[in-house]
Amino acid sequence: MPARILLAALLLLAAPACSRAQAAPPEPQPHFPALTGRVVDQADMLTPAEEQVLTAESAAVERDTKAQYVIATVRSLEGYPIEEYGYKLGRFWGIGRKGVNDGVILLVAPAERKVRIEVGYGLEKRITDPFAATVIRDRILPDFHRGDFGDGIKAASDAIVQRLRSKASDAEIAKEDHLTV
Amino acid sequence: MNRNRLMTILLVPVAAASLAGCGVNAIPTAEENVKARWADVQSDYQRRANLVPNLVATVKGAAASEQAILTGVTEARAKATSINITTDDLSNPDRMRQFAQSQNQFTQALGQLRTVVERYPDLKSQVNFQTLMSQLEGNENRINIAVRDYNQAVQDYNTRIRTFPDVIGAKVFYGSKPKVPFEATTPNAEVAPTVDFGAGNTAH
Repeated sequence: MPARILLAALLLLAAPACSRAQAAPPEPQPHFPALTGRVVDQADMLTPAEEQVLTAESAAVERDTKAQYVIATVRSLEGYPIEEYGYKLGRFWGIGRKGVNDGVILLVAPAERKVRIEVGYGLEKRITDPFAATVIRDRILPDFHRGDFGDGIKAASDAIVQRLRSKASDAEIAKEDHLTV
Repeated sequence: MNRNRLMTILLVPVAAASLAGCGVNAIPTAEENVKARWADVQSDYQRRANLVPNLVATVKGAAASEQAILTGVTEARAKATSINITTDDLSNPDRMRQFAQSQNQFTQALGQLRTVVERYPDLKSQVNFQTLMSQLEGNENRINIAVRDYNQAVQDYNTRIRTFPDVIGAKVFYGSKPKVPFEATTPNAEVAPTVDFGAGNTAH
């Protein structure tokens, strides 16, 4: 048998090995709660009635704007900073349309006393950093300081939903939120 | 002879397909991913640099006696923005260290600024200042995410070019060199303070 054919035969034998691609192992991540609905109240901060209202508003805003908005309360951040927990949760759940990244999570971690509005890249010009900071400072914290968790979450949620529904242009929003850059 | 030629004709496509599995396609894809993730890192650092002149001007108006800190921030910014990393530099540990060091020094200078402004309640109550700080904090988070995604892409690429079977394609066709991960200062050391809603806590 000529060498050429022998070589070809060897390559043929190697084919199965060559199709096995190697990639680095992914980073470790927290044990996230399951995405059981538009409101995932793992830390049990909301009444069934409150959950129902929030769920309906989230469904309506997705129907009208396509943006996906989820409210999550978690029992533990498992030692992760809330910023890291938040974006990893967003990716884990796949909130927001693929390629559009138009997802928002209102994330509350009562054990660590942290709250965050996690915004997909596609909505950063709607839910801007100053807007999110203002909602947390003015809508959530006053109620949370009194222990009125349901009220705080509802007030923040109303502001987020209203902003998602806003017909204002990105430039108008930037002006409203006092963005300079 | 005829039979041999026939066998060769049959085997060539099979051989080509098996080579494709040896990283001939996967290596450039992984490399493009590293470059794209690096572009994200750079644009987030650029965004930070763009925010800072406004911040410095705002702080100067209300806390003129902090001139030394403000000068430190402006100089660190100038140094950080003077170092440009090309895609070739991604395999150059010295260039990557230079870039990381200058950005980390900029981060530290901003951390000092953040500490001193605590002494100026009037400044902290200005809408313009609050807006800039929230953007800066949001951007620090974006930088952290971009750096993590870049490092993951580097790890994927480096593992691929060192591991059988892709190491064959890496050596034979591409002469692939490993990429350098990015070492930002320890996460949280510099990260913006997060809002705590603890009873009696007024930090926000």
